[in-house]
Amino acid sequence: MKVRLAPMLALSMATLLVIGACTSAAPTNTGPQTGRTGGILRFGQSAADVGTLDPHFASGTQDRSLIDMVFNALIRFKPGDGTQFEPDLAASLPEPKSEGAKQAWTFTLRKGVMCQPTDGVPAYELTSDDVVYSLQKSADKNRSAYAGEYTGMTFEAIDPSTVKVTLGSPLSKALLYPKLANYSGGYIVCRKAAEKLGADGLKTHPVGTGPFTFKRYSPKEKVELVANEAYFRGKPQLDGVEFLYMPDLTSRELGLLGGQLDVANGTADIAWVEKMERNADAKVDVFGVGEVVSIHFNSRIPPLDKLPVRQAIAYALDRAEFQSLTGARVSEQVFSPVPAQFMPGGLTQQETAAKGLDYKSDRDKAKKLLADAGLANGFTLNMVTSELPSYRVVYESMQAQLAKVGIKIDLKVVDHTSMHSTIRLDTNPIVVYVAFRPNADVYLSQFFHSDAIVVTGKKPNTNFSHYASIDSLIDQARSEPDTAKQTALWKDAQTKILQDMAAYPVMFTNLVYARRKGVDYGHELKSVLALYPGIDETTRLMKK
Amino acid sequence: MIRYVAQRVLLTIPVFLSVLTIVFIVVRVLPGDPATAALGDYASKEAVDALRERLRLNDPLPVQYLRFLADLLRGDLGTSMINSAPIGDQIAHNLPYTLELTLAALLVGVTLGIPVGVYMATRHNELPDYIGRVGSLVGLSVPAFYLGILLILLVGVQLKWLPAIGGGDLTDAGDSLTHLILPALTLGLVMTASVARLARSAMLNVLTQDYVRTARAKGIRERSVISRHALRSALIPIVALTGIWGVALIGDSVTTELVFSRPGLGKLMVGAMLQRDYTTLQSTMVIYALFVVGINLVTDLAYGFVDPRVRTKGGG
Repeated sequence: MKVRLAPMLALSMATLLVIGACTSAAPTNTGPQTGRTGGILRFGQSAADVGTLDPHFASGTQDRSLIDMVFNALIRFKPGDGTQFEPDLAASLPEPKSEGAKQAWTFTLRKGVMCQPTDGVPAYELTSDDVVYSLQKSADKNRSAYAGEYTGMTFEAIDPSTVKVTLGSPLSKALLYPKLANYSGGYIVCRKAAEKLGADGLKTHPVGTGPFTFKRYSPKEKVELVANEAYFRGKPQLDGVEFLYMPDLTSRELGLLGGQLDVANGTADIAWVEKMERNADAKVDVFGVGEVVSIHFNSRIPPLDKLPVRQAIAYALDRAEFQSLTGARVSEQVFSPVPAQFMPGGLTQQETAAKGLDYKSDRDKAKKLLADAGLANGFTLNMVTSELPSYRVVYESMQAQLAKVGIKIDLKVVDHTSMHSTIRLDTNPIVVYVAFRPNADVYLSQFFHSDAIVVTGKKPNTNFSHYASIDSLIDQARSEPDTAKQTALWKDAQTKILQDMAAYPVMFTNLVYARRKGVDYGHELKSVLALYPGIDETTRLMKK
Repeated sequence: MIRYVAQRVLLTIPVFLSVLTIVFIVVRVLPGDPATAALGDYASKEAVDALRERLRLNDPLPVQYLRFLADLLRGDLGTSMINSAPIGDQIAHNLPYTLELTLAALLVGVTLGIPVGVYMATRHNELPDYIGRVGSLVGLSVPAFYLGILLILLVGVQLKWLPAIGGGDLTDAGDSLTHLILPALTLGLVMTASVARLARSAMLNVLTQDYVRTARAKGIRERSVISRHALRSALIPIVALTGIWGVALIGDSVTTELVFSRPGLGKLMVGAMLQRDYTTLQSTMVIYALFVVGINLVTDLAYGFVDPRVRTKGGG
């Protein structure tokens, strides 16, 4: 009656495992330690797929980081440090010249910069014609999402290696350089490739002058890049980069620990950071730039139209409670809408405290302000939040904190795009917004200039508070060529914002990336505007 | 028989049309504006409006529906709403990974499940049977994604015998196979539990039949009784259910592909959902529906071939 079926039982599994063990082994990626290291760096990014690889439309982290590896700009942020500028395609950083009411900046292009080859377009040397074409594209609202940044600018090719940028009204270096640097509209596309590929082609086939050249796009899986041997700063150390789309954090984590990834996007959560650091093969980098969390009060919706009520809410909130959501190491408190840690124009804790505008948590004071405003019994507000944790947990924490002073918040969770649509329709009495902007002018213009008031502004953007009291300060600062005076104007503007409590600055959360210990980025990490560690010609995969 | 086949094929048309309609409606009731999702937070209102116009999202729903059907009839699956990549190419790239995974899991499930079930039946109410019954119950209770993570942690991370994630290069048999083993085991082991329980009960039924008793009485060796006489009859319901398991595996492959970050239709569909890429989502769901309807059709036809009574009941 008894049948020996044990061998049959193990047949499938044993065969599969044996074949696997014989043919497998985790892929190796390291080259010789001396000279060029080579190897393919495998990068797991927290996204489902490419958004767009046209640099003048890209806004997602997954796109910005990939674009940074393929394109250059006239100027670049120093690798790993977004607070400093250095020449990129330009041979040097220019100084401005006045031309009547206008201002001119002349860029001399570096020699020998080659546009990468693509189907039907062989490699060719980049000239001023490409630069002018690219900047004009950035300034065209039909071909760029950042056209507003280039309003009033004209671009001219003086000769094949000279480009002149003329501004209708003067700008300081602090404001002009970011527009022409390796961020958003500043990236230079190669004209012939862009015209050959067309608007749709550029979305999935980037062609630039950077250290890596596009090789292949596998939808919802990966983009493969290979080293650009003709790169003007020298052939990259790596043979290439595999940029893998992996929306699931656990998969990225396991891929890194299993040896299938070299770098993985993590999460701004101290528990995750500490867990990864317990692994001998992994290292975690926590660095800027940080996306700033601010809470904007809609002054058109009662009772938030009363200053004491907005101040009461500010006193009822506690930055430390918000910060505990992520952990102190991956976030830092901010005391003005512009983060002083990353750019000039922000107010530090000391500066706001000295003015009595740090709004240190004081719930008794909050209750008294509410009582004085005739709201001793509190009130109820209805609002929507995104389903994304980066938003939802902030709203929920705010809900819990305000409940302690009698303010009830009814939250409705919606998908992220619906939240963005809803808050732009001016229906949320309080808007939590998480964003990074490249300089104080952009922060202040987009969130606090009357032109940017949602629905009713001249150019509706993200002024959710309907704030209109610092237009002149923003405009004055924008055209102030003296950096110190400009910074002072930005600080004055933010002092006013805090006095009027148009928005409550909470904190910024840093970028968190894990890597295998053999990965050497080639630079220290302080802050990177492309929102990733920065992979360039110096990045290496070392033998452990 | 021809009439039966024709009837079955014709019946799939309204079924498929109904599925297409549901897919169309489901995609359009999803929250969020596709144009806003496609252009990102920085886009101006003018750019969003222009894209809505270009994507013809402002057209009345019946017009969009008819266009959707007309495009499908022409075999045009469209382009991604987010990055304009042709959806046909995306599906062609991902489909082989899903088919490979489903077939491998089916292979694991059948080749492990049947011997286990048969062995349990032959050791009825003995220790191996008890162990098998508990084991199969555990197998049915463990979600595939959880088992996948356990396998990754053990085999991929701790032992480093096999890659923890990815789908490998389909043109490289060795690479493809090493990337296939863990996901195939994940899906296949869950299926093994079902197959083993079914095989056990089918065998127990058959082993009490007179012809089996007769075979034993004739002195035929027990191994031959089991394999030549009993197992053949017991296999009929198992084979009949293979189609249904295939459909279930295609569904389960979605989570497995995500856990293993493996290319495939499931990852494509979930990615499209995350990006609000409605055209890709819609087309991927259509392909899934086509598979399910197709497998059901093949199963129906197979029943008809195997059992003439089905043909007669079906009107033939």
